[in-house]
Amino acid sequence: MNQFGDTERNNGPTAFAMRIMISDGPLGVSWQHASETCEFLGDVFALRHAKDGADYTDARHSIIYLVNELLENAIKFRVPGSISVDCSLEGGNFELTVSNDTAPAVAGSFQTLIKEIISRDPGELLIERIEANAADENSSGSGLGLLTLMNDYGARLGWDFRSSTSGSAVTLSTHAALTLN
Amino acid sequence: MEIKTGEYNVWNEGSIIHYEGTLRLSGTDAYQPILDLMQKVLADKPENIVLDLTQLEFLNSSGINLLAKFTIELRKHPDLPVKVLGSTKIPWQSKSLPNLQKLHKGVELVIV
Repeated sequence: MNQFGDTERNNGPTAFAMRIMISDGPLGVSWQHASETCEFLGDVFALRHAKDGADYTDARHSIIYLVNELLENAIKFRVPGSISVDCSLEGGNFELTVSNDTAPAVAGSFQTLIKEIISRDPGELLIERIEANAADENSSGSGLGLLTLMNDYGARLGWDFRSSTSGSAVTLSTHAALTLN
Repeated sequence: MEIKTGEYNVWNEGSIIHYEGTLRLSGTDAYQPILDLMQKVLADKPENIVLDLTQLEFLNSSGINLLAKFTIELRKHPDLPVKVLGSTKIPWQSKSLPNLQKLHKGVELVIV
């Protein structure tokens, strides 16, 4: 197994937690599922968080943004198969793991990108990448979502890659943690 | 000019471009019609340009990249006043819009 970044999980077995599975399907349908999933999780976890008098709007938005970005990546880069979404909340610490199978070549180039992302200051790299994207019409802006999460939201991100239990694919789990205000 | 869907609307009134709703498109190609609209406003050689985001509840990172690309294009017009309007009620705006000023010092960012 290859691990990168911050994969440590702090929320315990008594944390408020939920798992959602998104089935395989065409891009347009999956995109809609991702949209509904992040809105639902944003509502449920922000309501839970706001019970203690915290800021509902900010928590809801941060959760939606985080879940949406990781689901967009999972949908774009998965091989046919489901995506699992695990969330938990304990004492203002929101943790998310998104897992899906991906092709070995995709996993390889993603690892190269991750190594660059975690070795640099995210704010500096974000601006550098935006400039590079603007100069190249064909660029898809890969990595900008992750850098935005790290720089603008203070998200702590980690990744692990392991052999899939089904066939030759690689199972990628992306871990994220946010301290909600 | 106007782009209207069930989830979002983008339109211009002269050199003011308004954005409304939730923009969660899948990438650069999907955002192209919106970029075309923005570039058309710029091509009309306006005296100033305003991006009114105060009704834009959500914008994914591909959309933020679109704003960034357009901001970089605006640098080629150093004498053109640029104002970006945001709302404190919409959290992504206070978090991500300051990046536009890092790309173009001439951007006046007003988040109220």
